[in-house]
Amino acid sequence: MTVQAEKAAPAETTKPRRIPLWANPRIGLVVLLVLLVALFTVLRPAFLDTRLTLTPLQSDISVYLVVGLAQLSVLSLGHMNLAVGRMAATSAFAMGLTHDKLGAGLIVSLAAGLLVGALLGALAGLIISRTGVNSFVVTLAMDFALVGLITILYASATDGVAFPTMPAGMEALRFDTFADYCLGDVCGPRVPLVVPIAIAAALLVGLLFRSARLGREILMTGSNVRAAELSGIPTRTRIVQAHALSGLIAALAGFLLAANNGAFSASIGDSFLLPSFLAPVLGGTLLAGGAVSVLGTALGATLTQVIYKGLNLLQFQLDQLQLYIGLVLIAALSLDRARHVLAERRGAKL
Amino acid sequence: MTLMATTRRKGPPELTLAVLAVVGFVALAIATGGNLLSAGTLEAFFRFLAVPIVIGLSQMVVLAVGQMNLSVGALTGFCAMAAAWLMLEAGLPAPIAVLAALALGLAVGVANGVLVVLTRINGFIVTLATMTIIQGLRYGVNGPDTYQGYSAGLRAFGRASVLGLPAVFLVAIAVAVLVGLYFSRTVPGRKLLASGGSPFAARLSGISNDRSLITAHGLSGLLAGVAAVITVAASGSVNATIGDDLLLPSFAAPIIGGVALTGGMVSVTGTVLAAFLIRLVDVMQAQFGINPRWVDLIIGAVVLGAVLLGTARQKLQERSP
Repeated sequence: MTVQAEKAAPAETTKPRRIPLWANPRIGLVVLLVLLVALFTVLRPAFLDTRLTLTPLQSDISVYLVVGLAQLSVLSLGHMNLAVGRMAATSAFAMGLTHDKLGAGLIVSLAAGLLVGALLGALAGLIISRTGVNSFVVTLAMDFALVGLITILYASATDGVAFPTMPAGMEALRFDTFADYCLGDVCGPRVPLVVPIAIAAALLVGLLFRSARLGREILMTGSNVRAAELSGIPTRTRIVQAHALSGLIAALAGFLLAANNGAFSASIGDSFLLPSFLAPVLGGTLLAGGAVSVLGTALGATLTQVIYKGLNLLQFQLDQLQLYIGLVLIAALSLDRARHVLAERRGAKL
Repeated sequence: MTLMATTRRKGPPELTLAVLAVVGFVALAIATGGNLLSAGTLEAFFRFLAVPIVIGLSQMVVLAVGQMNLSVGALTGFCAMAAAWLMLEAGLPAPIAVLAALALGLAVGVANGVLVVLTRINGFIVTLATMTIIQGLRYGVNGPDTYQGYSAGLRAFGRASVLGLPAVFLVAIAVAVLVGLYFSRTVPGRKLLASGGSPFAARLSGISNDRSLITAHGLSGLLAGVAAVITVAASGSVNATIGDDLLLPSFAAPIIGGVALTGGMVSVTGTVLAAFLIRLVDVMQAQFGINPRWVDLIIGAVVLGAVLLGTARQKLQERSP
């Protein structure tokens, strides 16, 4: 599901050939994924143990898929959001505060958090679009500011680094799978409850960039701001909206991680930055803007988490884990580049 | 000393920063009742200014060609751990360990540059990946344990003072002067700026942009090595967390100093002054016992403010030619 802003091609040129199957980065990811799962299973049969490995793995993938989507929303513009982790943390604080101080339920708390995330994103977008300052600098400064703010907020609203209570229902999101809910004799599969939330988010983002006018116009803006401006697209508004979307999705990622961890804590989002770029970039989304791949992001997130979980099971140390993740990233990107060059030589238009 | 690819202009950003630095320093000296000016406090102020200056310059040289180097902090930590390992476990004398740390920084930097050139992948992503790898290597040197009690001579150098100024600070200033001369007076330095300003025009003038990228990344790695040596000398003990808190300041100093992310211009004076200002905020926090988290908040606001000011000034200049 690669979604790209249409580029007007001259009518008389020959129709570009379709991308050959082997040149599609998504196919490469699937092959790599299958090989890795096979390898890990051979080395540690416990890798396919549902309760021990697969169910927690699905929860992890759900969180990092949503984190990747938050970054993808601004990569569509050719922008970056370095504050993605801190936006998640601030939103999680808002959720915890709404529940802890006002006694609000799950839905209201979640809504409050999502609102805070969207507002933070919109603020970043507003600064970027009004001043024309590089998104990297703006979100970096925002990250700095929020790091400080979060600790201060937690210190003043709680007696430590986490809220003591959680809205009812969060426990279910944490521990339950669909296997716990039965209709007569038929029980669901052993899939955690957070998975459908992530899938719904991915589908919505995919639909937005594929079919909705708003998404298409954001991609146009990312592809060529000037051309978009001349075609009557309010590019400044689109920039604000894309960043607001990024903040909103980051807030959702913060909520999912809080559900997985079992607490709204200050450390939420600390580990979001690298994976937020890994998933979309592995999936073939460029930093240049104008094209996104939601399916690729899902595959990228799955691949990263499978590697983490597999190396974990093989009892690799933390340092080796980081080493291999980095090496895999470079190898995957280099392969992607080689495939791209090869495809260009064969005359396929990418 | 703002240096651009085409024109040279002594811009007001440095002047503003210099005035801010002086005003801030005097204000802090008065507010602490002269405590800041006491020999010990003043020396500590400048000793811990050395690494921020060098790490800011390390980021600045890659910004000059329009690239970023996310691995500077991790690399500093890795080089520091490697130097300590060479002295303690391999039993090598301090001068060789220092040279090895510098060489290691240079080598990793060049590897970054070669990867960027070969894969044509955005430098942000490449150095993000190498940062992860280097973090792993850094931890791999000695796990969670701390190295201490290495070369007494090196630690004495870290504590030494010349005319009331710490030796490591003078090293940082010397490095800054060298980097400034490199960009203003030497052909390779000018070529870097030309590549950063307009790769197309640079290519037409016979400059190899690929070579510029590799040079800039190599230089950035070398400067991270310098920061590592200063850390090893000044802190007296090193562990695998060294460098974790350097990434954001490495961007803050050049950006507040007026260096554009698009490449083609550098400002050594601006970067040094910005590092000075950030250090002032740090000291203010320590002197008044403010929650250290406020420092991050303030620095974030200052970075944003500096950038907004720069854009506003640019617009004003364009309006009144």
